[in-house]
Amino acid sequence: MGFPLLSLIIFTPVAGAAVLMFLRGEDAARWTALSFTVLDLALCIAMLVGFDTTTHAMQFTETRPWVPALGINYALGIDGISALFVFLTALLGSICVLASWVAIDRKVKEFMISLLSMQALMLGVFCALDLFLFYVFWEAMLIPMYLIIGVWGGEGRVYAAIKFFLYTLAGSLLFLIGVIVLYFYGGRTFDILALTEQDLPFRIQSWLFFAFLIAFAVKVPMVPVHTWLPDAHVQAPTAGSIILAGVLLKMGAYGFLRFSLPMLPEASIYYSTLMLALSGLAIVYGGLLALAQDDLKKLVAYSSISHMGFVTLGIFALNLRGLEGGILQMFNHGVTTGALFLFVGVIYERTHTRSIADYGGLMKVAPVYTTFLALFTLSSMALPGTNSFVGELLVLSGGFAANLVAGSAAVLGALLGAAYLLGMYGKVALGPASAGARLKIRDVNAREMTAILPLAVFVLWVGLYPKPFLDIIDASVKHLLTHVHSRGNGP
Amino acid sequence: MTAATLFQSALASLPEIVVITGACILLILGQFVRKGQEHILVWASIAIVLIAALATVMLANEVRPAYAGMFIADRFAVFFKFVFYLATVLTFLLSRKYADIEGIGTSEYYVLLLLALSGTMIMASATDLLSIYVGLELMVICTYVLTGFLRRERRSNEAALKYVILGAVSTGIFLYGVSLVYGLTGTTQLDGMAAAVTADPLDPGLLLAVVFIVAGLVFKVGAVPFHMWLPDVYEGAPTTITAFMSVGPKAAGFAVILRVFLNPLVAASDVWIIVAAIAVVTMALGSFVALVQDNFKRLLAYSSIAHAGFAIFGVAAGGADGIASVMLYLLIYAFMNLGIFGAVIMMRNGDFSGEVIEDYAGFAKAHPGLALLMLLYLFSLAGIPPTAGFFAKFYVLVALVEHGFVMLAIIAVLLSAIAAYFYIRIVMVIYMREPQRAFTPALTPLVGATLAVTAAGTIGIGLFPSWFLKLAQDSVLGG
Repeated sequence: MGFPLLSLIIFTPVAGAAVLMFLRGEDAARWTALSFTVLDLALCIAMLVGFDTTTHAMQFTETRPWVPALGINYALGIDGISALFVFLTALLGSICVLASWVAIDRKVKEFMISLLSMQALMLGVFCALDLFLFYVFWEAMLIPMYLIIGVWGGEGRVYAAIKFFLYTLAGSLLFLIGVIVLYFYGGRTFDILALTEQDLPFRIQSWLFFAFLIAFAVKVPMVPVHTWLPDAHVQAPTAGSIILAGVLLKMGAYGFLRFSLPMLPEASIYYSTLMLALSGLAIVYGGLLALAQDDLKKLVAYSSISHMGFVTLGIFALNLRGLEGGILQMFNHGVTTGALFLFVGVIYERTHTRSIADYGGLMKVAPVYTTFLALFTLSSMALPGTNSFVGELLVLSGGFAANLVAGSAAVLGALLGAAYLLGMYGKVALGPASAGARLKIRDVNAREMTAILPLAVFVLWVGLYPKPFLDIIDASVKHLLTHVHSRGNGP
Repeated sequence: MTAATLFQSALASLPEIVVITGACILLILGQFVRKGQEHILVWASIAIVLIAALATVMLANEVRPAYAGMFIADRFAVFFKFVFYLATVLTFLLSRKYADIEGIGTSEYYVLLLLALSGTMIMASATDLLSIYVGLELMVICTYVLTGFLRRERRSNEAALKYVILGAVSTGIFLYGVSLVYGLTGTTQLDGMAAAVTADPLDPGLLLAVVFIVAGLVFKVGAVPFHMWLPDVYEGAPTTITAFMSVGPKAAGFAVILRVFLNPLVAASDVWIIVAAIAVVTMALGSFVALVQDNFKRLLAYSSIAHAGFAIFGVAAGGADGIASVMLYLLIYAFMNLGIFGAVIMMRNGDFSGEVIEDYAGFAKAHPGLALLMLLYLFSLAGIPPTAGFFAKFYVLVALVEHGFVMLAIIAVLLSAIAAYFYIRIVMVIYMREPQRAFTPALTPLVGATLAVTAAGTIGIGLFPSWFLKLAQDSVLGG
């Protein structure tokens, strides 16, 4: 066993949280949290540098017995798919600290502790190679997220927090039963890699597929179990929204990639049409809902439902372009929507309103803000040259190859996206400047720029030169695909 | 009985003898303790329990049947005795300040708790229906008295009366079952019952007898349909006694249920269907009714019903894993439940009762550390990882799925999602509401020690469940 880099990555935020417990003073809390998240990001970059893109094998693996009586290990490791999300989590982690710098003005220390524990748990989810360990990380995230929404959120925070908690808990508990059933049918092991090598009977696969689907669909979220998301997003503080959109929603899709597809290949192929239909529904329905919103945050939240529909569409297209596009879209959505929530937060801090109707003509008073907003709006619309274009194109091409109707729904969704995003941008940034109070809005400051710039870089980098990102996932995706098709169609 | 066998028997029951003798001595010496010196009583009681624990450890390596098959000292009993010791010692630690405030810090209070402890210990070791009965009555009569210990409060008196009447009925049912068994098989020993059954085709009368016996025991653990006494008694009793009752006697009830269910008589029949039905209904009732409670103690009473239901799922699963899962569940439950009760007891200060959930509004603002502890216990009770409560539930579910009861497992998790709501509602009140009034919790060093121990157990077993799991598994097989 080599250097425990992944453990270090997971436990750096924990160490930060521990240090924070003994600190006094709000600024000290902010700076400590920032230092630890930046350190964590540096470790993740080191991990990416050392990452071998030529193999689909798990890398940086660590295994220690945890509960030997049940075959539970503390097992970590990453392949190309996880590597991308480990990096995304760490990147958004530092940005979340920056985004909460002044927005969080009470119980700063406690907030930063919640944020850091959240980050550690999310990193754990992406690194876990043991189902039990995965579940522990996955479920434990409920605690800090519940507090982040419920303590530091907006007016209706309590309702939103409880709704978020119960939806996710009910879904996860069924997942837990699925995990235990899998344990018994899969040779009494929680080892994720060993379980992917099992050939389960189709009947069991079907049951497990739906048990997993409920859990993952709540997290993605897919229509019709999406209703917790707008509430949670609107009430959560900016950092909470960024985490939700940037990482938490990815976990459902990651669950499909890590468990449903490789462990239940027959069922995945068999039910792929259903999944494509649900994805198409989410794309169009989410888009229509977004079109009807006046609240900026709600608009971005509903657009997330639509965009995550693209992700699941790509995944269940079950071809190379679809899968690669879906995974890249997960990353892109984290960057772009994370940034959009950041922008909503920035303007909300200044005006304390999120109603689109209250804005107008921001271009004149905050040119830098609106310029960058334009970049991310265009990225969200998937304009060529931005990151989402690459991902969406791949998804569409994979989606059409898999199912014409689902592909057409996605195109319709893309059109709807253009409509609500351009409409939003037009009302917020262009036109005559609105009421006098708005004119006092200051443009983005240095701290906010620091948070925005890295995201902007990724929008353009992925948009113009996606190869390094596709390279990271390529080997793993190809292996996953061969695995699914070779086992799923049977001899 | 020769002197040698008598000595062997006395040796096997040494921990019980220590506790009972200690309690008697304390009863006499307690009269000489002057006012203001009550802490001597606490420390003496704890010392007695610790000596008993030492004796238990020394006897733990061997299986010792005693008293002509009425009693056994095995690892199964040892495991449960440690749960009782834990519950009792923590109750003593919590009692000191609380007893002062309520004016109940007399020596009888400690003596009765010790005697109740000895009753639970006898139950854990009993292998004969009559010795089970002796232990049961010893325990339950002491808790009747302790429930009514707040003599000036009507609520407490009422609770005690209710408890006595309903308890007597359940004892009657239990004894009726015992007499049926004796009449049909000519023996009251659990092993003898099993032998009598394997010789003949299954006698329906025996099954009826088992149902009566189980009904008597189900009353003690507070499962549906014999749960009605529990919320009132829990609410009326002094909070320290409630804390004790929710862990010690409940675990003792489970110890006996497991002993009866280890029995081939039950394994051969379809009694598990009844048990599964009891588990589902108990958990559903506990979870749903808890949703609407405003009083913290009543809420914890319903929560305790719901948890009993979850543990009964482990009994329904059966097999060595099922039994181990129940044992582990009870151990973990002891930590987290005494923890949350410790927090509630600590709130009792001056004229502040801390019994209404609204009292905790904004508690996190004034006391972030204590609020964090409560958060830990509540999430553990809700079964969220990485706390011990999650592992407890997880292992019960593993046992259920292993024996093919996947539907039961699904019902159990859905009900625990409902149960999670009332725990997080308290977290919500603690963290997300504005404080109503300022108050100072009675955080004495002893209460602090209790909270530290329970917190260490709640988080420690959650992170490192391996050792405790092995302990529970070994204790089953050693029996």
